[in-house]
Amino acid sequence: MKAASLRIYIGTWVALMVLFALTLASSFVPLHGFNTAVNVAIAVAKAALVALIFMRLRTSTALVRLAAVAGLAWLLILIGLSLTDFLSRY
Amino acid sequence: MSTHATAEATELDEGETATFGMWVFLATEVLFFGVLFFAYVMTRLRYPEEFASAGRHTDLTLGSINTGVLLTSSLAIALAVRSVSLGAARAGAWLLVATLALGAVFLGLKSLEYWHDYTEHLVPWLDFAFAPPERNGAKLFFYLYFVMTGAHAVHLIIGLSLVGFMLVRLWRGRIDAASVAPLEVTALYWHLVDIIWIFLYPLLYLVSRT
Amino acid sequence: MNATSVSSPPAPEGVPTGDARPIEQSYLGAGSSLWSWLTTVDHKRIAILYAVAITAFFFLGGAAATLMRVELVTPRGDLVSAETYNKLFTAHGMIMVWFFLIPSIPTTFGNFLIPLMIGARDLAFPRLNLMSWYVYIAGACITVAALIAGGVDTGWTFYTPFSTMFSSSYVILAIAGVFVVGFSSILTGLNFIVTVHRLRAPGMTWFRLPLFVWAIYATSVILVLATPVLAMTLVLLLVERVLGIGIFDPALGGDPLLFQHLFWFYSHPAVYIMVLPAMGVASEVITCFAHKPVFGYRMMAYAILAIATIGFLVWGHHMFVSGQSVYAGATFSLLSYLVAIPSAIKVFNWTATLYKGSITFEAPMLYALGFVGLFMLGGLTGLFVAALALDVHLTDTYFVVAHFHYIMVGGSVMAYFAAIHYWWPKITGRCYSEGWARFAAVIIFVGFNLTFFPQFLLGAGGMPRRYHEYAPEFQLLNVLSSAGASILAAGYLLPLLYLPWSLRFGARASGNPWDARGLEWQTASPPPVENFETPPVVPERPYDYRPQAAAAEGGA
Repeated sequence: MKAASLRIYIGTWVALMVLFALTLASSFVPLHGFNTAVNVAIAVAKAALVALIFMRLRTSTALVRLAAVAGLAWLLILIGLSLTDFLSRY
Repeated sequence: MSTHATAEATELDEGETATFGMWVFLATEVLFFGVLFFAYVMTRLRYPEEFASAGRHTDLTLGSINTGVLLTSSLAIALAVRSVSLGAARAGAWLLVATLALGAVFLGLKSLEYWHDYTEHLVPWLDFAFAPPERNGAKLFFYLYFVMTGAHAVHLIIGLSLVGFMLVRLWRGRIDAASVAPLEVTALYWHLVDIIWIFLYPLLYLVSRT
Repeated sequence: MNATSVSSPPAPEGVPTGDARPIEQSYLGAGSSLWSWLTTVDHKRIAILYAVAITAFFFLGGAAATLMRVELVTPRGDLVSAETYNKLFTAHGMIMVWFFLIPSIPTTFGNFLIPLMIGARDLAFPRLNLMSWYVYIAGACITVAALIAGGVDTGWTFYTPFSTMFSSSYVILAIAGVFVVGFSSILTGLNFIVTVHRLRAPGMTWFRLPLFVWAIYATSVILVLATPVLAMTLVLLLVERVLGIGIFDPALGGDPLLFQHLFWFYSHPAVYIMVLPAMGVASEVITCFAHKPVFGYRMMAYAILAIATIGFLVWGHHMFVSGQSVYAGATFSLLSYLVAIPSAIKVFNWTATLYKGSITFEAPMLYALGFVGLFMLGGLTGLFVAALALDVHLTDTYFVVAHFHYIMVGGSVMAYFAAIHYWWPKITGRCYSEGWARFAAVIIFVGFNLTFFPQFLLGAGGMPRRYHEYAPEFQLLNVLSSAGASILAAGYLLPLLYLPWSLRFGARASGNPWDARGLEWQTASPPPVENFETPPVVPERPYDYRPQAAAAEGGA
């Protein structure tokens, strides 16, 4: 129920836009395979901003934060353990 | 020691319960979409060149505009929740209208983009343009493109319906600073739709632009 | 029931026990029209709505199994064609997994008991609870439509590319039904998670909760994290079948194993959805009828959480021979051995609970003891198939079929019956006939073992599963198995007779006919709509039984 200040919301939006511009611009810079890594990292940063500020995870209880990361953690289990198969097949 | 069951929960408690419930639901949505991200990762690991080649044909302009649109819509709805919880219901209502408008713009641009994809023969099951040897890998890329953006669009439409529903309730005074929980959980859902797009954008539009 | 059993000393002073008041004043009497039932948001009524539905599906799935066992009496495929047989085992699997076992204990006893056990008035989201039931019914209707239209022959596992490209049966309709019912699971799990976190009565800390609540909670976490993966996987299957293009198609460079990874990522945790609630029931029943606190309460709770967590890491053991890399196979094999550890801890602790208890053998206890023994056998045979080298020989044989039926039927279904009998007086306000119930329990135990033990031998001998005909040397064991199935069927039909009989003619039950511990026994049988007329007293320790006093009282 505690409403954050207007500045924080606008500031977050600005940061998101900057990151968006960054990811778009960096795609035109040939980084030989690192482009994807950079883009994913920037996407993670954007998602974190939306989650922590807009979705108010920064001020939520530990329980809510646990629920928030559980989905992602389990997705990583699915992808990670499956990679033991797909990466070791050929 | 003897204890007693609680009396009615306070509004604050009910808001926290609803928020927790929505986060649990969002976890299920992460796993729901996660399957598609899993499929993308496994397929791209196998066909990196085909994905790169096919990835150059997505509409970077429309996709980028849509990314900006959705990020801004997240700001709008976050501000709407803030306004309503501070008692400024009117400002909140206008911000919800802005959210709806931005969401509608997204859908409009997405439809235009789908139309372009069709006329450029990028639909794998309809007269697909790519020739061997990249044809199969490109088919897989665009298959995933349509399924992922399609599923996202469905969730966006659900989100728009919820936002519209909240706007009506706000207008009728059923939502106010004391009972803002339904709007808060709707905003959480909307933000998740934004986050999914945040990940779709680089995977579908920024694959190989150098 | 008290007349034939050792009675415990009464509950401590000041703890309400609930007396026998007219049933019309309970939740059963609050509205008698069909409409009042179909629009209820009372978790107790919704539990009964579910119970009716899943019972119907139990017998529908059982009918499919009956036809299969009749066919398998002879080596030649003479009762049904191969295609029909494929449709029968698919129907049996789909119905039993998604429409009976997965909902069974959680939606019936979970719904009824969770609020009572934690001292709450209802679940966190009562209307969502009713919606879950309607979503279940919608999924059920779609699936029944698929069966009536002509059935599906892919096996309940829907493996690609057969399901996407070659099967000419009603795949789309069937997976639509499963997709829909999955949302019922997700919403129920969500409701339970939020309820257990947010609605516990003051003083009801986590480590004072009955183990049944822990079990349902862990089950709910699995429901919420695993089912969405199945949902999207089915969507991908559907799209690929309709469009003829997809990521599972080898001709396009796709990979059928992608489907299997996704499918089993859900379906292995699904088996823990099916067994964890049964374990919760066992802890409640065994403590009550051994008149003794559970041995190692905290370890039992941690073991539940460990099973739920590790259960997500082992799915590849269903794919040892599918073309998965051998390194992945080894990883999944090792992880599968890990998950046996918390399960074994639970079996040890149930046994230790019995040790030096004052044991009585009412029907719930018979079922619970059967659960422990048969679950243990099933679990031990799981170790066989978790070994890579052994599984090459045993996979897709009747050994696997026997393994999972020992756990699902010998384990979960027996625990479900234990729960039915244990909480029957609480839910209905009536006492069932103890003599008939014990008789049925014995019939079921004998019938079950005669049905499924020969299947271990058949599997080790090489008989493959999902075939309507087999080599003649397997006939004797198949005949024994089918004979056992007929006995098992008779055992399952008996409760259909004496339980409804008790509703009309059974003795009125008191609030606590078993002298059990737990908040649900502190209110009337059946409970009032609001669950507790006076606030329940949360005990300092769960399972506060005293076996020495119980033995002294009973003079056994």
